[in-house]
Amino acid sequence: MTLQMPQADELVLNNKENIILDLKKISSNVLFENEEITPYETDGLTAYKQKPIAVVLPETTDEVSKVLSYCFNNNVKVVPRGAGTGLSGGALPLQDCILVGLGKFNKILETDFENRCVVAQPGVTNLAITNAVQHEGFYYAPDPSSQIACSIGGNIAENSGGVHSLKYGTTTNNVLGVEMVLMDGTVLRIGGKNLDSEGYDLLGLITGSEGLLGVITEVTVKILKKPQSVRAVLIGFDTIEDSGNCVADIISKGIVPAGMEIMDRPLIKATDDYAKAGYPRDVESLLIVELDGTESEVDILIEKVLEISKANKASYHRASASDEERLRFWKGRKAAFPALGVISPDYICMDGSIPRNKLADVLGEIYKMSKKYGLGVANCFHAGDGNLHPLIMYDSNNPKELKKAEEFGADILKYCVKVGGVLTGEHGVGIEKRDLMCEMFNDNDIQQQLRLKKAFDDKNLLNPGKVYPILHRCAEEGRIHIHKGKTKFPDLPRF
Amino acid sequence: MSGVFQPANESQISDFIRDSAKSNNPIEVVGYNTKAIGRYIQCSQTLDLSKIKGIVEYMPEELYIKVCANTSMLEVMDLLKSKKQMLGFEPVDYGYLYYGKSNYGSVGGAIGCNLSGSRRFKAGALRDHLLGFRAVNGSGEIIKSGGTVVKNVTGYDLSKLVAGSYGTLSVLSEVVLKVLPEPEYSETFIIYNLDSLQAINAFSKVMKTSLEISGACYFPKNNINFFRLNDLDNTHSVLALRVEGPKKSVIERVSSLQSIFKEMKKTTILELYQSKLFWKIASNLECFSNSPNVVAKISLAPTDANSFVKQFCDDSIIGINNKYFIDWAGGLVWIEIDNLDPSYLIIEKIKKFCTQSNAHMTIVKSNMTYRSTGSFLTSASDDLKSLTSRIKKSFDPKSILNPGKMYAGI
Ligand SMILES: Cc1cc2nc3c(=O)[nH]c(=O)nc-3n(C[C@H](O)[C@H](O)[C@H](O)COP(=O)(O)OP(=O)(O)OC[C@H]3O[C@@H](n4cnc5c(N)ncnc54)[C@H](O)[C@@H]3O)c2cc1C
Repeated sequence: MTLQMPQADELVLNNKENIILDLKKISSNVLFENEEITPYETDGLTAYKQKPIAVVLPETTDEVSKVLSYCFNNNVKVVPRGAGTGLSGGALPLQDCILVGLGKFNKILETDFENRCVVAQPGVTNLAITNAVQHEGFYYAPDPSSQIACSIGGNIAENSGGVHSLKYGTTTNNVLGVEMVLMDGTVLRIGGKNLDSEGYDLLGLITGSEGLLGVITEVTVKILKKPQSVRAVLIGFDTIEDSGNCVADIISKGIVPAGMEIMDRPLIKATDDYAKAGYPRDVESLLIVELDGTESEVDILIEKVLEISKANKASYHRASASDEERLRFWKGRKAAFPALGVISPDYICMDGSIPRNKLADVLGEIYKMSKKYGLGVANCFHAGDGNLHPLIMYDSNNPKELKKAEEFGADILKYCVKVGGVLTGEHGVGIEKRDLMCEMFNDNDIQQQLRLKKAFDDKNLLNPGKVYPILHRCAEEGRIHIHKGKTKFPDLPRF
Repeated sequence: MSGVFQPANESQISDFIRDSAKSNNPIEVVGYNTKAIGRYIQCSQTLDLSKIKGIVEYMPEELYIKVCANTSMLEVMDLLKSKKQMLGFEPVDYGYLYYGKSNYGSVGGAIGCNLSGSRRFKAGALRDHLLGFRAVNGSGEIIKSGGTVVKNVTGYDLSKLVAGSYGTLSVLSEVVLKVLPEPEYSETFIIYNLDSLQAINAFSKVMKTSLEISGACYFPKNNINFFRLNDLDNTHSVLALRVEGPKKSVIERVSSLQSIFKEMKKTTILELYQSKLFWKIASNLECFSNSPNVVAKISLAPTDANSFVKQFCDDSIIGINNKYFIDWAGGLVWIEIDNLDPSYLIIEKIKKFCTQSNAHMTIVKSNMTYRSTGSFLTSASDDLKSLTSRIKKSFDPKSILNPGKMYAGI
């Protein structure tokens, strides 16, 4: 993939030294030496790297506001960064940008059990929020697999999900308020400990906006009481269809499980080899259904799910008898990433959403593509909410393979859209899927979103080059039209 | 051009708005015109969307329903019911408030005002259930956002923005709503005779348990006699806690509530039928049926609810006695304000309270004078107002869609 980024501003690049000097007057944490800024040159999409002019690590909202307003007045681009675990390149720096890292915003400001919420700085990790309230039996519901590392600010920027989104929603359903700084330095507070707030729902808009609309400097999130009882069922099937039908049946019988995960055969093998989870090896598809609630409720539901699975030709089923056993069911699934790391030098994790009933169709197509591209693939599927994560295996030592893997990934996402799904369920568009946006949106849609961006960031200085195709419009047929002669600026280095 | 235009489809909406934009002609957008929320505006043209209706696609196993924007809410609710499903945000029937009788209005109307019922604190607001839409913006362009899947971060989440935008950004033509299974069974545990502070404390107590309460409201003594239920004594204040799920679990959880509140002198249980009726009457604002007064809702931190009630609703010392009730486990206070106060002093005081305690008021019913001159929302800061105005412009550059409906001049 040749990735075009916004044209670097020569004036800014030539003025580097002065910009750094000026920023040092605002913040005492300005990094610009090569070694210092190297850790910030990439995020979770490690195939792309770029060093910024400097990294600023502000400690107060006022500092953020001053940095942004300085950059605004001097036409310097800004890229916000949380923990850098994003998988779509949202926090990838630009050559002529200042990276604003929120790492020093790492304090929990208030745990408020009476109002069932936590007020925290954006650099606090997702898991730290649960850790801060679990002594009272509370937790923060959205649980991305990266929860020990990713920041709550990053979660809001990406609208991250987890395995429990069907029942408990994604980040957007669990945020009550934010403080954010607009590109011109304006500080806004939206929402708080109350449920509904004034005017347009800016909180909903900011969630999932991938750092393009404002820099989040404080968050208020909802906390929930832990359920009394949690149990899981492990169910094996001889075909993907059967597992898909079983999921549909569970839902039509009125059950809303806390989590439903499907793994395909390649992933079952990889994760079981790695984590010794005790999965059945002779099944095509493995479904984990987790149920939570009061004890009797969970027991009733477990029975129902077992019954439904039998009716859908399950060849293996087992209900957890203890919490240890339940955790063992999850052990393999949760180790999907490291497990694949063992069998393949590199892999990319795709993230489409599809209607649940299209699972067998889509997986069938993915296997065909896998043959066509000659690259292995393993799939996990948040079946509860239709979010599919194909993991495409490749070897970065072979320069052709990354390109092939990316094309394979793009084909998968296009197919997801074709069957009525979307390009990204939880990892964001970033740079990775930017040029696929026209598969889903036409020019009117994109232009509307770009105008909205301008309402927040008139000069297009905040995280430009992400999410929306640059320099071109979506043509009628949904293809991207590259303007010739506009590609003279260098592509990003690729590794 | 002037008068009422009744388009039959999206492309007619688009043509009409495009022409109106060209000639700078403002448009009042109405669904079934059941809700008189928002500032009173006068436009030479009315866009009546009552023909943009019909179910497009209902997929029970995929948990969504796609409908033309102004399909009747009741029709949608009935259809879902036939498959034992429902809208999780518990649509509110505003008909009682405005006309003294049931009228749910249209889906689009509810979305425009982001109206959510008693389940909101557990299941989210209406905006959390809008998965995607098609609409026409103020330039007449057809735009879309979202989809039919619950997990979707492709581009900005415009669904959130249009929900609660009072038709000032775009005219919805088609919407996708998330649906949920109906709970198999429900009961409501009632505690009588608490004052507002005790009620707030009781909410806090149950919300710290894992009993998964899905409704928690409180009606004071002076606002209870409109309930006519066999099993409910309507002469005392009532605190109600709803429990839903499989029958066995509901019964167990209700008995847990009994033991948590065993020191309470007078309690009762409303079983399935009475329980459902109770929440319908409560959610549908039947207590303010056909009210001639100003009715407002205040979304606040539960810990501020009691001080709000003491200042504005129920204080024998300073002689205030405004009808009110508390919903959302303390997160929402509904209040009916006597119109006798011609300067609306109390409204200004409530706004001040809201600004100070980061709460938010929406006036849902008032008279023509107030709607024409006053602000029905709390009061946005200048920065927020200017951003709001830029957002409005990004959808509706000529400001022709419901101009002034939310804020004067925007
Ligand atoms: C092993 C692994 C597993 C993962 N599993 C999941 C999963 O299960 N579910 C899921 O949804 N995601 C998952 N992710 C993706 C990633 O963890 C999430 O997207 C996460 O929310 C990113 O948070 P971060 O703090 O690392 O943000 P970053 O990567 O630093 O930034 C992400 C985006 O947010 C912006 N941003 C960050 N902070 C702010 C701020 N304060 N204000 C404004 N913009 C900001 C950035 O500009 C960027 O566009 C996984 C990633 C990894 C590496």
